[in-house]
Amino acid sequence: MKRLLTIKALIGFALVAMVLGVAIFAPIFIPEEAANRMHMTARLKSPSGLYWLGTDQLGRDLLFRVMRGARTSLSIAVSAVLISLLLGLPLGLIAGFYRGAIDNVLMRLVDTLLSFPVLLLALVISAMLGPSIPNAIIAIGVAFAPFLARVVRGEVLRVVQMPYVEAARAAGARDQRLIVRHILPNIMPPIIVQATISLAFAILAEAGLSFLGLGTQPPQSSWGLMIQASRDYLDVAPWTALVPGAAVALTVLGLNMSGDILRDIFDPRSK
Amino acid sequence: MKRRDFLKTTATLFGGAAFGGFQTTNVLADDAPKKGGTLIWGHSETTQNLDIHQTGTASTVRLLQNVHNAIVTVDKNLNVIPSLAKGFEQSADGLTYTFRLRPGVKFHDGKAMTAADVKYSFERCKNKDTGAVNFEVFNDVEAIDTPDDMTVIVKLKRINAPFLSRLAENGAGAIMPAGSGDIQGKTPIGAGPFKFIRREFGHEVELQRFDDYWDGPAYLDKIISREVTEPTVRLTGLRTGEMHLINDIPADRMKEVKSDPKFQVLTWFPLNWDFVNMNHDYPPFKDARVRMAIDLLIDKEALLQGALWGEGRTTASPSFPTSSSYDSALKNRQQDIAKAKALLAEAGYGPGKLDVVFKATTNYPYHVESAQIMLEWFKEAGVNMKIEQLTWADWLSQVWVNKDFQISMMNFFTLWEPDFLYYSLWNSTGAFNYRKIKDPVIDDLTQKARVTIDPTARADIYKQVQQQVFDQTHDIILWFRNGSIGAQPSVGGLDTIVHPNGSNFNFHKVWLRA
Amino acid sequence: MTYVLNRLLSILLTLFLISVITFAVTTILPGDVATMIMGTQSNPEALAGLRKSLGLNDPLLVQYGRWIYGMATGDWGHSLVFKVAISELLIQKIKASALIVVMSMAIALACAVPLGVWAAVHRDRWQDGVASTSALVGVSLPDFFWGIMMILLFARALGWFPSSGFADPATNPGLAVWHACLPAFALGLGLMAHLTRMTRSTMTGILGQEYIRVGRAKGLSERVIVWRYALANAIGPVMTVAGLQIGYLFGSIIVVETLFNYTGMGWLTYQALLNRDIPLIQATVFVIAAVVMLTNLVVDLLYLYVDPRVRLQ
Repeated sequence: MKRLLTIKALIGFALVAMVLGVAIFAPIFIPEEAANRMHMTARLKSPSGLYWLGTDQLGRDLLFRVMRGARTSLSIAVSAVLISLLLGLPLGLIAGFYRGAIDNVLMRLVDTLLSFPVLLLALVISAMLGPSIPNAIIAIGVAFAPFLARVVRGEVLRVVQMPYVEAARAAGARDQRLIVRHILPNIMPPIIVQATISLAFAILAEAGLSFLGLGTQPPQSSWGLMIQASRDYLDVAPWTALVPGAAVALTVLGLNMSGDILRDIFDPRSK
Repeated sequence: MKRRDFLKTTATLFGGAAFGGFQTTNVLADDAPKKGGTLIWGHSETTQNLDIHQTGTASTVRLLQNVHNAIVTVDKNLNVIPSLAKGFEQSADGLTYTFRLRPGVKFHDGKAMTAADVKYSFERCKNKDTGAVNFEVFNDVEAIDTPDDMTVIVKLKRINAPFLSRLAENGAGAIMPAGSGDIQGKTPIGAGPFKFIRREFGHEVELQRFDDYWDGPAYLDKIISREVTEPTVRLTGLRTGEMHLINDIPADRMKEVKSDPKFQVLTWFPLNWDFVNMNHDYPPFKDARVRMAIDLLIDKEALLQGALWGEGRTTASPSFPTSSSYDSALKNRQQDIAKAKALLAEAGYGPGKLDVVFKATTNYPYHVESAQIMLEWFKEAGVNMKIEQLTWADWLSQVWVNKDFQISMMNFFTLWEPDFLYYSLWNSTGAFNYRKIKDPVIDDLTQKARVTIDPTARADIYKQVQQQVFDQTHDIILWFRNGSIGAQPSVGGLDTIVHPNGSNFNFHKVWLRA
Repeated sequence: MTYVLNRLLSILLTLFLISVITFAVTTILPGDVATMIMGTQSNPEALAGLRKSLGLNDPLLVQYGRWIYGMATGDWGHSLVFKVAISELLIQKIKASALIVVMSMAIALACAVPLGVWAAVHRDRWQDGVASTSALVGVSLPDFFWGIMMILLFARALGWFPSSGFADPATNPGLAVWHACLPAFALGLGLMAHLTRMTRSTMTGILGQEYIRVGRAKGLSERVIVWRYALANAIGPVMTVAGLQIGYLFGSIIVVETLFNYTGMGWLTYQALLNRDIPLIQATVFVIAAVVMLTNLVVDLLYLYVDPRVRLQ
């Protein structure tokens, strides 16, 4: 319990909670019109009393956009991680549980995929499918899956040797039952830690994809898209890049901190 | 038609001075040109295929303007004048063109130009299998004869009024050494004032003065065209002195740059013109009322301000602004949301009933911004717009080739031969008619124009075409966009750089002070 | 000996798989190279002619075979859009990227190791707090954001470095390094943060070990213990992580190089994707994946050599 109360934990969880809150509630209180409304006479204005975080090149209020962007960026990241779990979990489970030829083949495939840098995979898939949010989710999810599969497999290998698993097997439990009732619950904690960290990476990946023009489409605001749009105005209006950048930083920071704390709780060995 | 008549025709159709709106700020008065120096030019686009026959990109053509010369060219009044041919004649029946070549023209590899090179170049362009892009210029060519080394006779199957003026474009009329086709993509060789030295792909291209240029050697020793696609980086490059000259100053910084006494600024229009396209195969857009309603939703002046920071001029006529086919009486429709709503309701697309997907290419960021601005106006009338950002490659393949789109936006570098402009874009068989426009009135008119000899009558026909396009709202013409060049005070001869077509640059008469 | 052979076979197999995946992925790409080359001059006739002359109509297996054979014999084809031999392009651009990768690795290691050790030694005190927190922040920001910060600070505000472009290391090493600085820093910062964390956690782990306590009991000075013994053992895992990060680095390189207009492999890959330049995409993706794989292999081998547990055997 004491660990939970360290400053790091407090800040980390607070950040995540804040971002989550904004993501959930901001779109309710800030309607789309407000975030998309262009004030043509107030373009590229620095933060002031009227526009707390300034305006972008089309005169849109950056505060509104960055807050609404939270939902976009976060939902993309969460969906992507879910997809990577959907793909990676079964793969890792099967490989780790059955070992032998299946393990070899699957891991060979996974290792090959791991030779492609994550962003490169996501880029190519995105380019293949066309730029849109669902495609960005698929791209990032598929790109993260190999790594997750490896982690799952590692955990399964560790857990499979545990006495209670041996006991259950000796008692005649069928494979399916073993996997679902005994192995899966015991690998969940490190998987959750991994998922949290993946979430952080997914947000960075979405920012990167949108920065290269392959993610969110305008006029929707995602943080990556906002950073990309700011490129042309860096020297006259740096806040257009700093505002979304800070948003990404704080979110990822919070997630990383939380991930660290969770890892401390679930897996004391790693300290 | 005699040659003299033909020249008069061209001039009348194209009008007097090549540009309206050629503005200079802080451009230093011309002193005596000096020889020497390396000009560093910050080019806004990357060059691609260096083969002049195969390249479709304005950026590469802009650079190759200095490497190649064509058989004829245009002066600043857009009259066709001799270039590599020292004279040319057209037969009375208009079917035979005789070109008398200029003696003593050398290519960059040292060889002298002969009729064989001209025949080779024309045939290479005519042959689709070489990947030549402008092959249709030579579609009516029946035979190319070379009775002697300095004479080329081109026989046509039928009258083709634009033929000669098309040859003034390097993409069609550039003359290259016979047999050099295979290396043109890697090391272009021509007869222009500069020869190609090297290209560091994506980074820069180096050109060097060709001392044996037929029109006298250029002043500059070398030109380095550095490809800097990021507008702010390009401007910074000019500011820090890294570059002598840049093109395409970012629209939002224009005021700032103009008011800085340190820089010479040249702006002109048109660089190109933009229009909004509606696919005539998309059911709602089959109805002229819906198309007009869309036109009424757009406030062109406001859009120009919003997307281009006012760097341009709205227009309803895409003709070259000072030409006689330019219809100055035609005015853009003003924004009228109420009327638009009424028209939409009448056509059965009341609020919430019309969904459109706007495909905008990221190759022109101001298209994406325009789409976002238009989205808000559309919303006011209950039209739901979704925006799809496409890379240039995707836009070309989806919208241009497959004609798979609903509403989009494009620009054209001004096609100053009106036949090329109006036929290709609005005739139902036109090569650029990706909006699937089928209007028998326009088809008739454009056909008639092709065989109409009298210049005033021809200009009049094209005005009728424009009126029809406007009345039926086949497309929504928006504006002419400004071109711009920013230069250090050390660059002289700025007023000679821009080619009459508004896009190409020629550095033959440019020099560096001190 | 058999181990080496096994490894070799394994490498070849993986390379083969990489090539298959790369080829498969690029053939499903929508968008058409012929259209890209011809631009707005495209029309169906000209396109058909161009496609034929480029060999795009042949069956997939034939195209794949042609590609593999070409690579094996040194002919990597031509970039369809830029009309240059791909092998030339690759050599140029690999050199460029190698420069910033090496520089960023060097910067990262040079800063991360001392920082991490410092944090571990002063564990749980303010030094640790400062170091760990900054490292955490460093890991949390996307590389291109660091890049933007670099541009704003060093290029625009201070004018110390150029904000774009690149120079050939072979002809002009000084200029090349100068242009490479900002991109390398941008890449290196994220890496440095990651390595700092890794160094710190490895060092704290080691410093808590038996043999360290034994060393202290024997009277060895703290400095000797930390720098000679603990660090020596920590280097292994840290290098391993650094090596594995190469994979991630080659992904980030795409974004960073594009941001700085630094024409290296990352930039080339992105341009290839944008232009649907299939042969170029195949070549760049293949090369990047192959480099990552080979690096991982080298790191694996190094680890075997360096890992004290293995060595002690």
